[in-house]
Amino acid sequence: MAAVPALQLEEVTRSFGRLQAVDGVSLRVEAGERRAIIGPNGAGKTTLFNLITGELPLTRGRIFLFAQELTHLPVEARIAQGLGRTYQVTNLFPQLTVEQNLLLAALGLTRTKFRMLAGLPRSGPVREQVERLLAEVRLEYARQRPARELSHGEQRQLEVAMALASRPRVLLLDEPAAGLSAAERVMMGSLIRALPRDLTVVFIEHDMDLALGLADRVTCLHYGQIIAEDTPDRIRTNAQVQRVYLGVG
Amino acid sequence: MRTAWTWASVAVLGTLGMFAPLYLPAFYLRLLTESLIYAMFAMSIDLLAGYAGLVTLGHAGIFGISAYLVGYLTARLGLPMHVTFPCGVLGAVGASLLFGIMAVRTSGVYFLLITMAQGMIVWGLAFRWTSVTGSENGIRGILRPDALATQQAYYYVILGAFVLVAFLLVRLVRSPFGLSLLGLRENEARLRALGYSVWLHRLLAFLVSGCFAGIAGAFYAFHNNFVSPDAVHFVLSGQGLLMVILGGAGTLVGPVVGAGVFIFLRNVVSLYTDRWPMVLGALFVLTVLLAPQGLVGLARQLLRRWPAGAEPAPVGSTLPYGVVSPQPLDGRNNPAPHQPTNHPGKRRR
Amino acid sequence: MQRHPMTRLALAAATWLLVQGLLLATAGVARAEQRPAAAGEPIRIGVLVPLSGIGAAAGKDATDGWNLWWQRHGRTVAGREIQSFIEDTAGNPDLGLSKARLLVEQRQVHMLVGTVFASVGLAVATYVEQVGIPTFYPIAAADDLTQRHRVPNLMRIAGWSSSQVTHPFGEWVATTTPCRRLVTLAADYAFGHEAVGGFVNTFTDVGGQVLEQIWHPIAETDFSPYLARLAATRPDCVFAMPVGAPIIRFIQAWHDLGLWGRIPLYVGEVVTDQAILRGIDPPDLVVGLISAGHWAEGRDDATTQEFVRLYEDAYRILPSYYAAAMYTAAQWLTRAITAANGRVEDRQAFLQTVRATQLQETPFGPARLDDYNHPIFNVYIREVVKRPDGRAWNVVRHTIPNVSQFYKYDPEAYLRQPVYSRQYQGINWP
Repeated sequence: MAAVPALQLEEVTRSFGRLQAVDGVSLRVEAGERRAIIGPNGAGKTTLFNLITGELPLTRGRIFLFAQELTHLPVEARIAQGLGRTYQVTNLFPQLTVEQNLLLAALGLTRTKFRMLAGLPRSGPVREQVERLLAEVRLEYARQRPARELSHGEQRQLEVAMALASRPRVLLLDEPAAGLSAAERVMMGSLIRALPRDLTVVFIEHDMDLALGLADRVTCLHYGQIIAEDTPDRIRTNAQVQRVYLGVG
Repeated sequence: MRTAWTWASVAVLGTLGMFAPLYLPAFYLRLLTESLIYAMFAMSIDLLAGYAGLVTLGHAGIFGISAYLVGYLTARLGLPMHVTFPCGVLGAVGASLLFGIMAVRTSGVYFLLITMAQGMIVWGLAFRWTSVTGSENGIRGILRPDALATQQAYYYVILGAFVLVAFLLVRLVRSPFGLSLLGLRENEARLRALGYSVWLHRLLAFLVSGCFAGIAGAFYAFHNNFVSPDAVHFVLSGQGLLMVILGGAGTLVGPVVGAGVFIFLRNVVSLYTDRWPMVLGALFVLTVLLAPQGLVGLARQLLRRWPAGAEPAPVGSTLPYGVVSPQPLDGRNNPAPHQPTNHPGKRRR
Repeated sequence: MQRHPMTRLALAAATWLLVQGLLLATAGVARAEQRPAAAGEPIRIGVLVPLSGIGAAAGKDATDGWNLWWQRHGRTVAGREIQSFIEDTAGNPDLGLSKARLLVEQRQVHMLVGTVFASVGLAVATYVEQVGIPTFYPIAAADDLTQRHRVPNLMRIAGWSSSQVTHPFGEWVATTTPCRRLVTLAADYAFGHEAVGGFVNTFTDVGGQVLEQIWHPIAETDFSPYLARLAATRPDCVFAMPVGAPIIRFIQAWHDLGLWGRIPLYVGEVVTDQAILRGIDPPDLVVGLISAGHWAEGRDDATTQEFVRLYEDAYRILPSYYAAAMYTAAQWLTRAITAANGRVEDRQAFLQTVRATQLQETPFGPARLDDYNHPIFNVYIREVVKRPDGRAWNVVRHTIPNVSQFYKYDPEAYLRQPVYSRQYQGINWP
């Protein structure tokens, strides 16, 4: 019997009216795997992420995280089960400082978040976590700046750090390199590559070089359905993928 | 240098507050007491509106439930203050729990409407449940114990309570929980995706806020020796919000200043003109248009400019608690760094 | 990070300092205005009325009536000048209380007069009881102010109570009209409960029957459902008392549903008061309406008509009961101050003098106080009539003389009953 998959989707479906945005997607991601999800615009990639985290309810299907069923849990409970994600459109606390953004993220799964009369943690695991993440995404210099004043690239870095703050077992990255300059892209690539190997990473990426360079396996989505799933090398040469995606994009 | 100035102000302020009964005539001492009570009420509203981004228009209901409970138990049943006061506050917390459960699953204008409706229900009860509330005749004869009967003694009680409430609230907004309230205001969907149960945090905020509103309401009943439906009226909820916006939402100093200015205008300006509501209205409009961060935000800006050319203020010094209006993150509206963070436009999701 | 709380604290300090400074400055101004009280000095009277907010119109009438007396009869009484300090309560108990304290403690007034709203009056009552200052309420009608919660130094000179005029009215309707089966419709708050309670209590005493009592929200906008329900019970007559702006909507609905002329309608005093009549256009909508009141501007009496003429000359409108009450209160005080030889500083003696003052001729008719600091006066059964100049006013159809707040009941027994409310309307008492 094979090892328990980190993330498993069974026939996951979401329709908006008559449109099947995600149509019977079944997916199995092994622990520690880097999985890229590619597909043309409107293929249902971000919708799929929203279904996994629970930000959108499923029409049909089931979702498991390390054999734990998530299907009927609310967002915050799924996060508590070890799911972390970033967003395609930057999704931060704009008026709060980088440090506060990270503190919020790091406190998310602790009981400390209910403390009303204690100050913000100055030491201890939460603080150490924040400091480590600041170092990891190289934002120490900006810790006191409001997130809204960061450059786009810095904001994407902060997003990744926040997703990591809750120590997820499975990390979902939604186009981490979107809108980045070439240099920032390289930086983001190395950042993702440096993530611990035991962390399972599923990422959506438009940049094929980045995606194929980082992934162990690639899933290609088209009109809400999986049309191919394979290793990066084979995907590169997959005729169907080339037709729907590479040829267009 | 700044610290020295701060401590000097605190010392002067403390002295002024401590000795107010010596230099203030009874009437003005009463106004000071009243503004401290309203300051507590406004701070409780600000915790919800300014920090958690939940603009409420029903807080007078919670304030008034406490005042009515205290009034009924004190004046009708003759129970002593040390019994009735906690009962009033507990009643307010209970009501907050009930109202909170109803309201916290909504946000924005729906939250506003549902809290407003709750306030109106309480008002309706106060107005029509004559056998208990005395309808618009209210409950009178809510007397303080003899030790607190004088204005001076009561002032010191209120001053002490105010300092305590302010201290607790300062701690609260700087705590992890306080940070989560800012998160609620800024981006509640993101907060949920970080593992926070949004409705639970909102409910807790509602409870805490209701508790402080209840404290203010109980003090109010003993302050006036009287409670009538005006104490639970929608108008009072609006005035509380007005104090918050006038002073500066999302700061704790703001509501205090707002309450002081409001009480001052209502009592002192009305000695000179019947048009005092217009003065208040004009001040409010000017504040919203010219200083959307309230009088405190305005004072901050002026203070920062005052030593012209001196060291630029550290970036983000008005943060975390001083900013009212979230800005889109598209980069177009980002001010250059080192600019005072002043954004016109109302906070609205 | 460390410095920000400090900055905030500093700002807190600075702004609060500013507010305190302002308070201090005004306090200084106020102190400078204080003068020691002494005979020969002016007599200072504090007047509390709403001049802003919802009661501003009533407050203006009251102020006008008050000023009219002093303009016409001189501001010097017993050799002392009368100074009025008129303060705005905005109809808010908080503010009313603050202003009462301001008047007593800063302005050092010798007595307080006023309050239009019962809530403000009740809030102020607790305070004046504590400080013992002579206080007079010509307008606020809450029954218990001179009944179960009476205050020794508070007198309702020229005032009235909610059930005082409806007590004789209920009996009059039951005994002089064919009406035996009644439905009441009134605003759902204490004033409505008390006024209707008075009517119902005496109405049932003499054999009348109450079919239904309908209470509507005070700011009701649509009376049709109530009137439809009311018509369905087929009463002999209706006693109605909406208050304020809904009155005109009520009258309109009564006409629209075809009830006018079909079901006899009797209304409370405030429904056809000049404060409302002035705004009814055309006045024919209310001509013929029967009400009971302690005030009747169309009363055929020299003193009443002199006041009405003076008021009309000065303000171009007919006086409401607010105006008449404040005018008469000023008259009452003038008489009392004269009788006391201007010695208002001796509060007990002055209160005694006020209590002993009996007026034979006021715009209301003869008036004196009972043992509970409440006036005994005539109650008039009034009918709205159109004057030759096209304006409507209340003329007297019948006079019930010397009505006390307890009417025919024994005060002690009456006071053992609760105050009229939704639950208690005196139907089975006595």
